[in-house]
Amino acid sequence: MPNENVHLSDHELLLSADGELSRHRAAKVRAHLATCWACRARMAEIEGTIVDFARAYGNARNLKLPSVDGPRALLKAQLTELAAKSKVGSWLRFFWVGSTSRTAMYAGIALFLIVVVGKLALQHFVGPVENSTLGAIELGAVPDLNLTPGATRTVTINEICSMAHEDVVREVPAFLRKQILQEYRITNVRAEDYEIDYLITPGLGGAEDVHNLWPQPKFLTWNAHVKDTLEEHLHEMVCAGKLDLSTAQRDIATDWIAAYKKYFQTDRPLSERSDLAATEEKRYALLGQFLRAPMLRRPAAVKNVLLFP
Amino acid sequence: MTFLPTELISELSPNSPTSLEVSVRSEVERAVIMLFEQLRDPVVRYVLSFGLSVHDAEEVTQEVFLALFGHLQREKSRRNLRGWIFRVAHNLALKRRGTNQRSQNQTYLDRTIAENRLDSSPNPEEQVLSAQRQRHLLAVLNVLPEEDQCCLRLRAEGLRYREIARILGISLGAVSISLTRSLGRLMCADKR
Repeated sequence: MPNENVHLSDHELLLSADGELSRHRAAKVRAHLATCWACRARMAEIEGTIVDFARAYGNARNLKLPSVDGPRALLKAQLTELAAKSKVGSWLRFFWVGSTSRTAMYAGIALFLIVVVGKLALQHFVGPVENSTLGAIELGAVPDLNLTPGATRTVTINEICSMAHEDVVREVPAFLRKQILQEYRITNVRAEDYEIDYLITPGLGGAEDVHNLWPQPKFLTWNAHVKDTLEEHLHEMVCAGKLDLSTAQRDIATDWIAAYKKYFQTDRPLSERSDLAATEEKRYALLGQFLRAPMLRRPAAVKNVLLFP
Repeated sequence: MTFLPTELISELSPNSPTSLEVSVRSEVERAVIMLFEQLRDPVVRYVLSFGLSVHDAEEVTQEVFLALFGHLQREKSRRNLRGWIFRVAHNLALKRRGTNQRSQNQTYLDRTIAENRLDSSPNPEEQVLSAQRQRHLLAVLNVLPEEDQCCLRLRAEGLRYREIARILGISLGAVSISLTRSLGRLMCADKR
């Protein structure tokens, strides 16, 4: 507020009423209100409207929702079932409840082991990568559900089934690609090693939205091309009336690898494309890059590598 | 929010790994149930505002808290769980609405409020006026662009601008501009 005689905007008055101004700015606004009747009257109007709206909206608080007892019992039952299914390593828990210093120490050891193992692998090019190591690498195969929970657009089955191929496998715009890599903090790796993939493909009603996109490493067993096969399969099933669209969306968004296994009745990708399986040398070279990428430096990833070698 | 699952978890004594794992899991379950008890109603109300039926809103809310269980079990951040819960609820509600062929209960919540709730004012004249004003305000709310509606509803649920921005995936400035714009429209309605 450079000039004390200039009235405050509604925007500024609202920010002030909501306590969203910086301390310095709030003090200036208070000082202005103390001297300006016009602004104080406007502020009173704004607050009056907020009060009226809050009262109208607040009636929703008394809206007769079903009692919480039933839903709570249902949630408890589902949690018990979920907990029984989950197989979280006991040692992982040990790290969780450990002191900060102990966790930091073990994380350091984990990082050291990663570097040593990575270097050994790069130097010796030992035989095929086994599932145990892949288990660690495959961390990027599924998205971080915090960043990419999946998003859909409103579509009909007819629209989906009449989409042109280029719409079904639509290219992600460059600005979104950049934004996603930033969100996942992937900065020092070659962009071509990742495909910015839709979690729910446009061919299944997925939206072109940051919440529906994630960087999928191309050098994994469960890579974007494997996912494409699943997407095409689900698209065909939906259009043939063999599968409900919402089920397809839910399955692919929840865990696309589990969906692949479910719909193809297999534990491994049916065919690994030669250009992606590549040579072992290429694979280890990419592994080296991936190990240096920030994604694997996240604590959870480090622990997984250490705990499930 | 004063309660945080980590506080419970950190109180555990490190017994044998197996019993510890069970303890931690049950603590996470307990934490999720406690958060559910605190936030179920506001979350259901927010999900209802997307035009879903009560049944769908309850299902979405269950999904939200099951996701929270997975989130906590995977050691993800426990900062601002309320914001996290609303963000997931927002995304799941959008997803559910998209999967429904038609949303027939578009204004279930507000219509119910307007029809069923009367002001407690003792004066019948004031009661009518108050009900009228509420109808005006809710009518304005219902014709706002969806993003503005979401901002306003989340603010009414007590979320701060930063939390709203994160839930809706928009900038802080966009939230404050949206709320100012909505407030302007509400003020016009209030004067009628």
